[in-house]
Parts: sequence; structure tokens; C-alpha cells
Amino acid sequence: MRSQPRSAAADALTRTAGWAAVFVVLAVSGWLVGSVLGHGLQEVSWSFLTSEPLDAGRNGGIGTVLVSTALVLSVCLGIAVPLGVGAAVWLSEFARPSSRPVALIRRSLDLLASVPSIVFGLFGMVVFCQELRLGFSIAAGGLTLACMILPLVVQTTFAGLRSVPDELRLGAAALAISRSTALRHLLLPAALHGVVVGVMLGLGRAAAETAALIFTSGYVTRMPESLLDSGRTVSVHIYDLAMNVPGGEARAYASAAVLLCLLLIVNVAAAVLADRWLRHQTARVS
Amino acid sequence: MIESLSNPLLSANAQGWSLCRGGCAVMCAVLAVTFLSGCGAEPDSQAVVRDNGDIEPARGSGNLKLSGKLVLTGSSTVAPLAVEIAKRFETEHPDVRVDVQTGGSSRGIADALSGVADLGLASRALKKDEVEQGLVGHQLAIDGVSVIVNADNPLSSLTSGQVVQLFTGAITNWSELGGEDADVVIVNKAEGRATLEVFLNHFGLKNEQITADVVVGDNQHGIKTVAGNRLAIGYVSIGAAQSEADLGTPIRVLPVDGIELTTENVASGAFKITRPLLIVSKGEPTGLAAAFLDYAKSPQMHDLIRAQGFEAVTQ
Repeated sequence: MRSQPRSAAADALTRTAGWAAVFVVLAVSGWLVGSVLGHGLQEVSWSFLTSEPLDAGRNGGIGTVLVSTALVLSVCLGIAVPLGVGAAVWLSEFARPSSRPVALIRRSLDLLASVPSIVFGLFGMVVFCQELRLGFSIAAGGLTLACMILPLVVQTTFAGLRSVPDELRLGAAALAISRSTALRHLLLPAALHGVVVGVMLGLGRAAAETAALIFTSGYVTRMPESLLDSGRTVSVHIYDLAMNVPGGEARAYASAAVLLCLLLIVNVAAAVLADRWLRHQTARVS
Repeated sequence: MIESLSNPLLSANAQGWSLCRGGCAVMCAVLAVTFLSGCGAEPDSQAVVRDNGDIEPARGSGNLKLSGKLVLTGSSTVAPLAVEIAKRFETEHPDVRVDVQTGGSSRGIADALSGVADLGLASRALKKDEVEQGLVGHQLAIDGVSVIVNADNPLSSLTSGQVVQLFTGAITNWSELGGEDADVVIVNKAEGRATLEVFLNHFGLKNEQITADVVVGDNQHGIKTVAGNRLAIGYVSIGAAQSEADLGTPIRVLPVDGIELTTENVASGAFKITRPLLIVSKGEPTGLAAAFLDYAKSPQMHDLIRAQGFEAVTQ
């Protein structure tokens, strides 16, 4: 009987602590977003979004930088998503989960995911820029980022696939549905949420990258004419303006605000598209 | 029973497949573009430049038709200036592409030496062994290093001796120099930064002697650190210090040995804590690289040099 009020008090304490934690997290992220948008948005205009940087970025806009960023991220996702999802499918559905090679691969993916980005940058510079002769180029930058986010995409997709109950696999097998058919119509749709989360995390990490890209896709602000041209991404531009160009802070904030808004839009769009695709898919099967 | 159940699933397959295939096709296309264009790059940019190597443009004249690609890498201090010069050069020679990459003076020198870059950018004088390996430095502009404190610091000037005492830890409290009774926060630059080398050279110090409380990277990093700590003292490039102070950032430039930081004092050589901003070439440059170098050193570039906070070299 006596323990009753004490456990109620403990519950109240836990609840309060939980609320406090949520409040702190929300406050910090709200503060961050608010500060970036507050400092940056007044500089953002249509001409800022479409023109090229002038006077080392203190004037002009970030149009060419946005194009380079889009190209680098397309190359990155175009490589990392099919490879990552493919690898996760193999690990989860075709390999024996308890076998040593699988354990080894998963362990090395964990390790790879925690490697600092600058290491990928140096790797990319040596392998893609120098050995493969891509030079400072959008292609080299995208490939470097693809290597960087690959473990992330594999891990989240793998986790998504593993979270699908085995009953679905057994049911499919009992119905003599081939593994690949089951994969396409049961397992991948069920794991889609995980895949989207993985791709979005990867995209966020790639879009935030500066260190690895300074050495690979480079610093050039001219409008890229091909994937072999060097192109500066928004994050590199923000870094340069904030750390290297006296008087560049206002434009750094403006670029950061644009980057933040774009990531938000892409995130929401991906969630909506995945949701719609899923509904489409389940509607057809049932 | 099994067949009647699996059939609707299978018929759904056919349509799902096409969606899946569409996705695959897009990805294959991205892969193909990336790698095919990669193969196209085989005759690399340097070969293009070397192909032009026999073109000797008339010195200083821009009427010769130049084409090709030039790669510059190096000092993050010089890179923004080099980008602006490159842009103006490209408008005068529409078939020329000048790519400027950053990464630090050491990188610029190494890249110029290895041939990864056609020209290197450095914000310090070349060392003896670098010259012996065949590198030539071409002075583009002058940058200086100035000592900065927080705007709340009551000090108005320092002597060289006091700077040395502060940075080596012989003076640890501002009250010893007539300031408030509080510990000095020494902001030093990271190893490999050109401003660090200029500072150490001028005051005859070694990096191990400096009792740093904070180690910073770029100039802006140094400025932000000093602006945010009223007990801090650091040093940054003069261009960075002046334009930030003009913008109202709470820092103050301290004259050392009574010599104020002014563009006149820098140009006349009275302000001595300076460093050259160089374009580095392996041997004497030829062709496109030579044309660009001449252009960069011409008096028409002085407005760009001043806009970036540096001083032009006037012969």
C-alpha cells in the first residue's frame, strides 16, 4: 500500500523529465531554424536564387551553386540508392542472417558509417579525381558522397526489411510465390518507410557535406556544363562565406536558409510520394 | 486453390514491374552518364593546356585567341580573389575555363609541384627547398597579419615585446598591461595556416612556445572567437580584420610598436607583419598559364585585390 504513492510520484517525475527533454529538443531545433531563417530570409529573393555569385559571394546569388548541388546529389543518390537497396535485399532476404560473412559485412558497414567524412573526401580525391582521372568534378563529388551514404542506406533498408514479420515470407512461400515477386510486392512495400528514411538521412548528410566536397567537386561557381565540370555545392558555399570571406555572413545565412527550406521540401515530398505509392500498391493488391 | 489465389497477385505484378523498371532505367541512365562522360574525360584537362603550350601569347595583349582549361589550387585566403580574377579573364577569353580550387597553401604548392594544378596559390613566401624543386612564386598582392582584441579591451597599443610575452605566457593577466584583473585568453592559429607562419616569423617565435587557450582555423573563425570573448587576443589577416571592424564586429585592431594598420603603411612597407600572396608555377609558365599570370599581375586587377581586403603590389 505504501509503495503506491511512491510509484505515482516516480511516474510523475518520469513524465515531467520526458516533457522537459522534449521541450529542450524542440526549443533547440526551433531556435536553430528560427535563427537561420530570421537572419537569412530577408536576403533571399528570386534573383538571389537564379543569379551567380559575385564578389566572392558577397553579392549576386546562388543559382549556379544550386544547380551544382542538385547535380552532385543526383549522382550520389543515383548510385547509392540502387546499390544500397540491392545490398540490403541480399543481406536480408538471400543471405543467411546468422552466417559469418553477413555478420562481417554488417560489422564493416557499422564501421564505415562512423568514418569521418573527411576520410571519404581524401579517398574520393585519390580514387575518383586522380586514379580515375575525373579531376575536380561533380561526378567525383557525387561518387564520393555515394560511398559516404551507402552504409546508411544499406543499414536503414536492412532494418526496414528485417522489421517485416516472417509470416509474410512464409505465407508467400506457401503460396509458391517466387522470392523476387514477394520482394517486389510484399517486402519492399512493407519496408518502404525504412528505405525512405534511409534515403532522406543520406540526402541530408550528403547535402550538409563540405569537407569531402572541397577536395572532389570543388570550388568553382560557374554554371556547370557537364558532370565533369567542377561545381560548388551550397554547403561549401556557406562554409566559404562564413569562414573565408570577410563580410560574407549575411549571404551565408541566406544560403543556409535556402538549403534548409529545400531539404524540408524534399523531405515532405518524399514522405508524400512514398505514402501515395504505398496506397496505390496496397489498393491494387487487395 | 493456390493458383486462384496467386493469380491476382501475379497480374498485379505485371503493372508493378513496369513501375519498377522505370525506376531502374532512370538509375541506369544516371550510372551510364556518369561513367560514359568519365571515359570522355580521358584526355585530361592538363593535356588540353599542354596542347596549347606552344602558343606564346604576346605579353599583356588580350587579342590572341586563347582556349583551354586552367586549374588553380591552394590557399583559402587567395582563392576568393583568384575566383574574381578568373571570372574577369573568362569574360575576355570566352573559350577559356579557369577552375579555382581551395585547400590551403601547402596544397597549392604540392599540387603545382606534382602537376595536379597548372598554377598553385600560396599565402606565404616559398621556402628554400620548394624553390630548389623548381617552383617560382609570382607575387599577386600583399596581406598582413594584425593583432586583434575584443572591442571591450581597454588597451590601445602593444609593443612587439609585449606581444611575445603575451603569446608565450610570460604575461597571463591583463592587469599586468593595465587592463582588468582577468586571465588572458590566447587565440592561436592551427598548424599549417599561413597567418600562423607569418606571425611566428615576424616575432621570432616557435609554435611550441605559444601557450594557446584556443586554436582556430580560418580568419573568420579567429575573428568570431575574439569577438565573442572580451579577454581574448588573437591575430588575423589585415583584410579580414579591417572589413569586419568596419562592419561593426566587436573587435579592435591593436597597433604594434605604434604602427597603425592602414593600406598606406602596408604598401610602403612600414607595417611589417606582412606576407606575400603568390601564384606558384613549376618553372616559368607558358601558354595559357602565362597569359593568365600576366593578366592577374596587371594594374587592372587592383580594384579586385582591394575589394578582397588586400594590398596590390606596385612596382
